[in-house]
Amino acid sequence: MDPDAVAKAFVEHYYSTFDANRAGLANLYQEGSMLTFEGQKIMGSQNIVAKLTSLPFQQCQHAITTVDCQPSGPAGGMLVFVSGNLQLAGEQHALKFSQMFHLMPTPQGSFYVLNDIFRLNYA
Amino acid sequence: MEEQVEMVGKAFVDHYYHLFDNNRTELVSLYQPTSMLTFEGQRIQGVDDISAKLNQLPFDQCRHVISTVDSQPSAFAGGVVVFVSGCLQLHGEEHPLRFSQMFHLIPTGQGSYFVQNDMFRLNYG
Repeated sequence: MDPDAVAKAFVEHYYSTFDANRAGLANLYQEGSMLTFEGQKIMGSQNIVAKLTSLPFQQCQHAITTVDCQPSGPAGGMLVFVSGNLQLAGEQHALKFSQMFHLMPTPQGSFYVLNDIFRLNYA
Repeated sequence: MEEQVEMVGKAFVDHYYHLFDNNRTELVSLYQPTSMLTFEGQRIQGVDDISAKLNQLPFDQCRHVISTVDSQPSAFAGGVVVFVSGCLQLHGEEHPLRFSQMFHLIPTGQGSYFVQNDMFRLNYG
């Protein structure tokens, strides 16, 4: 299992789910998951999905520029560091963002998001 | 729990960038043999190679100005993930460079932290 391939596959899955069906992100988080979204701290899959589905836009498209990953330690975790653009429907200019994920393996051989931190990159 | 993690993150960030901007060779004290740095996509492992990379960056003087610091506990006993954004002003350059960086800090057991994971990216306009 090539870590780079895992990271890229996760990133593609995460953002395509975000852009097509935000509620579908629920199974990527668990009870102990943490999201910090523009400085606001949210804990647990339900609250995280509530936050993401209530963001003040209906349609969006993420375009990913960079994906970096590293193993986080002996438990098989992976840190993924992403930068890219977020285009909101009806907005002329895309927003630039950076995001980090700390993925932990599930017993079924996939990953869930333990830590998630999102920041827009303002000019 | 959370407030303490935020304090650790901010204290670390202050210390890290102060060292970087004033005494870059001292950054070596924050890394261990298992440490990993990904700098603009280039992967580097271990204290010596990381130190060499940071000390050989093509500028002598720089100043980091930090805009945001977000921290969370990382699931390892006392580990902290820290996500930073800010500007990097290089001496002699007119415009600062925007950057994002993430650190995964692990307790040393002596009351401080070392950097197990470090990823740095410039944010181009």
